[in-house]
Amino acid sequence: MTIQHHPDDDLLLAHAAGRLAGGPAVLIASHVELCAHCQRRTTELETIGGALLEELSPEALAPEALARTLAAIDAAPVADAVVSKRARQAPRRRPALPDGVAWPRALQHCSATPWRWLGPGMRWSRVTLPHDAAANVFLLRIGAGKQLPEHTHSDCELTQVLCGTFHDGRALFGPGDFDEADRSFHHQPTVQPGGDCICLASVSGRVLFKGVIARTLGALVGM
Amino acid sequence: MNTARQSPAFLPSRTKSRAPWLSIVTLHQSRSAMPTSEELNEWAQAMARAGDRQAFAALFKHFAPRVKSYLMRLGTSEPLAEELAQEAMVNMWRKAPTFDAGRASVSTWIFTIARNLRVDHFRRQGNRAVEADADEEADLPDLLPQPDEQLHIRQREAELRQAFLQLSADQAQVLRLSFYEEQPHSQIARELGIPLGTVKSRVRLAMNHLRRLLDGPER
Repeated sequence: MTIQHHPDDDLLLAHAAGRLAGGPAVLIASHVELCAHCQRRTTELETIGGALLEELSPEALAPEALARTLAAIDAAPVADAVVSKRARQAPRRRPALPDGVAWPRALQHCSATPWRWLGPGMRWSRVTLPHDAAANVFLLRIGAGKQLPEHTHSDCELTQVLCGTFHDGRALFGPGDFDEADRSFHHQPTVQPGGDCICLASVSGRVLFKGVIARTLGALVGM
Repeated sequence: MNTARQSPAFLPSRTKSRAPWLSIVTLHQSRSAMPTSEELNEWAQAMARAGDRQAFAALFKHFAPRVKSYLMRLGTSEPLAEELAQEAMVNMWRKAPTFDAGRASVSTWIFTIARNLRVDHFRRQGNRAVEADADEEADLPDLLPQPDEQLHIRQREAELRQAFLQLSADQAQVLRLSFYEEQPHSQIARELGIPLGTVKSRVRLAMNHLRRLLDGPER
């Protein structure tokens, strides 16, 4: 898989700095886990974070802080607790993905609804983040040759392609590719022949569809 | 987890009260004002390999106040920053076996520990209903570079730090604010009196500049 489209520096920086909201953070994480190039960029950014940490003027801790921390270390047999906690976890609800398409590691703690009908050849699944109930994250599954209604975004839409390819009028996007779209761009992604295209998407602000029917549809599914 | 911390056979096995004279940290070192990155690195390795508590204490002394400062700069109240800084140091001890000097400097490693702890904490706060799930690790990737990359990382870190010093004041500022000030980019834009797009392009310029300094022109 050759990844052609990557997140911009400012998004990757916000992620490395731990400053993205839940939705955008899982989108970036789902890209970085596949992309050696962005792993390297993230490492660079974290190095800058570490160097800047050294630069900060220290804030004194309470006099007993070290003693307390050592006591906390002695108190907790962590390893076992973590294992049993993992083992306890019930399997999460997830829509079926085609053979050979992996569920992103970034979503391992998220559940998602079964595929729901969105239009001819179009299905979607709402993804729920355990740590951010307000995040607007979903999977879109669009059949080959289908076109999403033309739309723009009141704020920002991030897309990570899990499988298949689409062309959005500007460029071709394939598995592993990442796309960021904002209000400056009206786009109408068309899925290329060869199979369903499944994308993970995070939207902040509303998606603004162009036609009345498309708008109604968008409102129905809460996009 | 435990096996990685076991002491070599010629040392007493790790106990709660490791004898102080076995520590690699001398009193002189732990008192000196600013440890070198080699010292920090040795301490982290001593903590990782042998559960050296004096090495831990020396790392604590250097990093806990900086982690606290980091948290307060991002808007955390003083008492909470104190608590989280201590928790970050507990995490540092627990994650010590995963510290790999070939992969990152100590400060980079501790930065990621503090960052993930902060993200986790606020996610837990944001959604109490799912607390049981939320003390999972943050979704931030725990990156494992390929072995051939690991060789380059330490060298690259030193170069990156050098390169950072060569950035223009504007470019360095926008990166510093991104990591260590409370505001998101939109607010940084207001603060610096420049449009949001300019913040984004300044970030991009700063990163491109760093990469040019490191690699020559974009590959």
